[in-house]
Amino acid sequence: MPKGFAERMRSKAIGLTAALIIGGFGAATASLFHWQIVRGEEMRTAAMDQSLRSTTLPAMRGSIYDATGTKVLAQSADVWTVVLEPFFVAGDENLRRTIASGLAPILDLDEEELYEKTGKKDSYYEVIKRKIETDTRDAVNQFLVDNEIDSGIRLIDDYKRYYPYGRVASNILGFTGMDGNGLEGLELYYDDELSGTPGRMVSARNGWNLDMPFEKEQMIPAEDGNDLVLTIDETVQSILKKYLAEGIEKYQVKNGGVAIMMDVNTGGILGLSTSPDYDPNDPFTVLDERLLAEIEELPEDEQDEAYSAALNRQWRNKAVADTYIPGSVFKMCVGSMGLEEGLIEETSMWTCTGGVHFDGMKDDISCWKHEGHGATTFREGLCNSCNPWFMHIGDLLGAETFAKYREAFGFTEKTSIDLPGESNSIYHSVDGLGPVELACEAFGQNFTITPVQMITASCAIANGGNLVRPHVVDRVVDQEGNIVKTADTTYRRQVISAETAATITDILKQNAESGSGSGGYVMGYRVCGKTGTSEKVDKHNEDPTQPMEYIVSYCGFAPAEDPQYALLVFFDEPDGDACGINPGGNAMAGPIFSKIMEEVLPYLGVDAQYTQEEYDQLDLVSPSVVGKTLEEAYSQLESMGLTYSVIGDESDLDIVVTQQIPESGASVPKGGKVVLYTEGYDENGIYVQVPDLTGFDLANASYVATINGLQVSVKGASVDGSMVTLQSIAPGEEVKLGTVITLTFAENINTDGHVELDE
Amino acid sequence: MAADSRTARGLRRVPQTTPPERERQREGGSEKKPRRRRTRLKYQLFSLGQGLDMPLFVFIMVLLAVGLVMLFSASYADSYFRQNDSYYYIKRQAFFAVAGVVAMLLISTFDYHQFHKLVLPIAGITIAMLLAVVLFGRILKIDEIAPPEGVARRWLAIGPIQFQPSEIAKFTIILIFAHMISINAGKMQTFRHGVVPFLGVLALFGVLIFLEHHMSGTLIVLLIGGAMMFVGGTQPRWFVLGISVLAVGLVCYLLFGGSYQIDRVVGWLDPFNAPADVDTYQTRQSLYAIGSGGFLGLGLGQSRQKYLYLPAPQNDFIFAIICEELGMVGAMAIMVLFGVLIWRSMYVSLKAKDRFGMMLGLGITFQVGIQAVLNICVVTNTIPNTGISLPFFSAGGTALMMLLGEMGILLNISRSANVEKT
Repeated sequence: MPKGFAERMRSKAIGLTAALIIGGFGAATASLFHWQIVRGEEMRTAAMDQSLRSTTLPAMRGSIYDATGTKVLAQSADVWTVVLEPFFVAGDENLRRTIASGLAPILDLDEEELYEKTGKKDSYYEVIKRKIETDTRDAVNQFLVDNEIDSGIRLIDDYKRYYPYGRVASNILGFTGMDGNGLEGLELYYDDELSGTPGRMVSARNGWNLDMPFEKEQMIPAEDGNDLVLTIDETVQSILKKYLAEGIEKYQVKNGGVAIMMDVNTGGILGLSTSPDYDPNDPFTVLDERLLAEIEELPEDEQDEAYSAALNRQWRNKAVADTYIPGSVFKMCVGSMGLEEGLIEETSMWTCTGGVHFDGMKDDISCWKHEGHGATTFREGLCNSCNPWFMHIGDLLGAETFAKYREAFGFTEKTSIDLPGESNSIYHSVDGLGPVELACEAFGQNFTITPVQMITASCAIANGGNLVRPHVVDRVVDQEGNIVKTADTTYRRQVISAETAATITDILKQNAESGSGSGGYVMGYRVCGKTGTSEKVDKHNEDPTQPMEYIVSYCGFAPAEDPQYALLVFFDEPDGDACGINPGGNAMAGPIFSKIMEEVLPYLGVDAQYTQEEYDQLDLVSPSVVGKTLEEAYSQLESMGLTYSVIGDESDLDIVVTQQIPESGASVPKGGKVVLYTEGYDENGIYVQVPDLTGFDLANASYVATINGLQVSVKGASVDGSMVTLQSIAPGEEVKLGTVITLTFAENINTDGHVELDE
Repeated sequence: MAADSRTARGLRRVPQTTPPERERQREGGSEKKPRRRRTRLKYQLFSLGQGLDMPLFVFIMVLLAVGLVMLFSASYADSYFRQNDSYYYIKRQAFFAVAGVVAMLLISTFDYHQFHKLVLPIAGITIAMLLAVVLFGRILKIDEIAPPEGVARRWLAIGPIQFQPSEIAKFTIILIFAHMISINAGKMQTFRHGVVPFLGVLALFGVLIFLEHHMSGTLIVLLIGGAMMFVGGTQPRWFVLGISVLAVGLVCYLLFGGSYQIDRVVGWLDPFNAPADVDTYQTRQSLYAIGSGGFLGLGLGQSRQKYLYLPAPQNDFIFAIICEELGMVGAMAIMVLFGVLIWRSMYVSLKAKDRFGMMLGLGITFQVGIQAVLNICVVTNTIPNTGISLPFFSAGGTALMMLLGEMGILLNISRSANVEKT
């Protein structure tokens, strides 16, 4: 090989190789520097962005506690969402069938639909069932284990809302939607507090959107929502609910009712029960039987619409979102205005002639007592609920002053209670308050307010003149137990002086004892109350062929010497014909008011203080004589002032008593009887049917009861003219001889004016 | 020569003990220093009784080992999801690596001069196989014999064995050119002997591989051939002419090939704002991987991009995963490894005792160098995407077997190379 030639080859080869290595790798290194160092951060971020997926972690919704702080009214519990990842199963026909046939029964799904879903081969995420609970989750997991399925089905954590007390406070609590947001009630109003802040979980995913095996998940934990502690006391709430339901049923009320109890000093609502209601655990089912019956009557094509209308109605908080005509209850406010302005005194006189004539009107605006109350003091006028007296006060006040006080009592503004959907009241403006309008408003007719506005105004009278803000939530507490927010008593303004308030309070006390409000009387508890019976004039005018519908209400507070708790009960459209009681606040709402107060006040620690007269009426507690000989029983009962009778063998004083009615511990009227049973009585002969005592006065009711072998215990004011509105045992029931029936008496007079306005 | 004695430590003489008859070559220098005796003993462990170039052998084995590790790291996620077996690629690659090393060592004992006689059969078989791919793939479209891969048909399947004739063709071109240059040694400057026959052979192989739609294969064959001609003595003016013609052709292609070709260039220049019809997904994912690595890398096995983002991370774009896991430092280390391997194999080739050995060795050197440089430049978006595999790293049985076989030839050349040779 020629040397020169070989040298040239050698140098060419070295040059070429050097050029290749230095040029090629040099250029590549320059690129690397550009992409790894200069634009490295940009590339890194872009690579991260495409591989990171962020999942929302639901925050646990705060719980809702009642005023005792121990009863949970609403809480969230773990549930799971079942997610199908069809991508992993779509290719395997057997697996698809296994999943469909196995999961469909567990999750209560249609097998074919589920099978279809498993075939969506491009999908990684199909929700097949939401909010399954622990046992269902366990079943799903068991199914996955049994069939050795390790991909394609995922369970995702979620929360579900539970309301342990069911219907008890539904209209206050509201409910949440599918995604946990509040839809009604406190759940809606305090949604921000309750819902907390959802967390995020950032996880790395590969190009097929699956979890990367080794990447750590970045968690921003969810901040759980705050708890609410209410002013609502579950016990009070349950009592309200129980008696409201009793009234609704007893009086065949067509349009629902409300019972609200409020702390007069703080504005805290202790209980607020409305009807119709629902179960917040299952808000989309209509529970009210009357509503259901109405839907049934409709033609089929209208039923769906009617059903959703019924749902909306049962979700409505009637105490806040609906307005009503307060009727004569409003007179406590009008009376306050007159006293406060010095236009009248307790002893001022006015003569009621049974009606008042206004220019331009065909008929007089009449008093409920058509013959008139004659000349009465203001005190008597309020106790009589005399309409002309209050038209007179309205006249004295004049439109401007009336409107000023009306505003001061809070009737023209929302109370800003912490519940959603508070309604505006409807009333005549100052300019619209002509003599007729003023006269009508002065006795509570012709304008509408919310029940909450009314009870708040009555609290102002009860607490010495301060208008407070009603509220349901006492405090907001975070998950560490720190108080985030408290609902301090908010005094909106002083409406009337303490003296005026005290005067009205005293008159209302008399009214409940012996006036037109005696239906609300509670033995031993010095209640103050005012009845209201308002006519739905507008509705009647629209369709005069229908009978006039009424709203009956009773509003009051107790105890009179230091008012603590106010209570408003009203029923919207009771059916007087069906229940045999003339629609009237005293006869219908009064006894319910009385029963609630009687049960709630002792619970709230208000002691009974009986007058001698009341003490005499008090029932005794039946002693235990079972197991004793007749001789012992006789002497024991005699020592308590009770009589007795024996059914069965009484031939020997040594015979042992086997049974007694009333039973040991039950109440028995003073001077009442205990029926003693001994061996050998005729089992069939001792039962009697309870007669219907509704509408009877005390004497007659006692007589009928006695001839039936029953005894009577009296509740409410058994003043002259009052009659039985409620009896503790329903007519027709079979009870043993000697059983004590508690009868609730109330005056049954419609104490409100019949107004026919000549518009 | 002074330069020769300076590097003599790494070069082998034929040992005096048990020389195989076939390998009986002339003895080298006569000095017998004690130091040299020691080293000879040490190298005998690896030498299969012969003296092969230990540095070259070490570089090959190191690159192969690193390549296998990186292949496993780059491929296991993708093969888990696509092949249902994380070890799918590494098992195959390890098998071919072991088989390839055995083949390499065997071939290193096979006197490369025998290839002189084998040029025609090998060329014939290669051309036959290339024709078969074209025939069955392009004309008859029989997938069983020539399985398609996208639009390309580069595979030939004979029973269970699948291989790429174009990989074999690269070696065949090297062999033919080494043969032609060695027998035409004195006449390479002439057009008739130094250009025409070479262009003829290149055209034949180029067209056949082009017909497989195997662009990168065509390009590499042309580049290897050109490089060998250049070193072999073809007049530089022909290269100036050829490169000029190619450049004009390329410009015309871009200008008249429609906006799509322009778009491709734009897509290459800025892959993140590429025109809608140019798919730069692979390039973008590659750059994400490279960028994610930074200076020091995420650590071996820590790549994110191999998780189904970067397509075929075990193949042409394995270097992107290397950049991601080992960083710029690791990537440069790999380039240095390639550099020293290429340099050493060039050195060994230049020390071959005859022109055929030298050209054969240089051809192999160029093949490895060109493929490594082009692959790394593609992955780093230094040049447009062409689809060239990375020697020693990319998954692929045929390529690895051929590569290691060629390394065997280089080692064989090293056995008889002589520092005193002129």
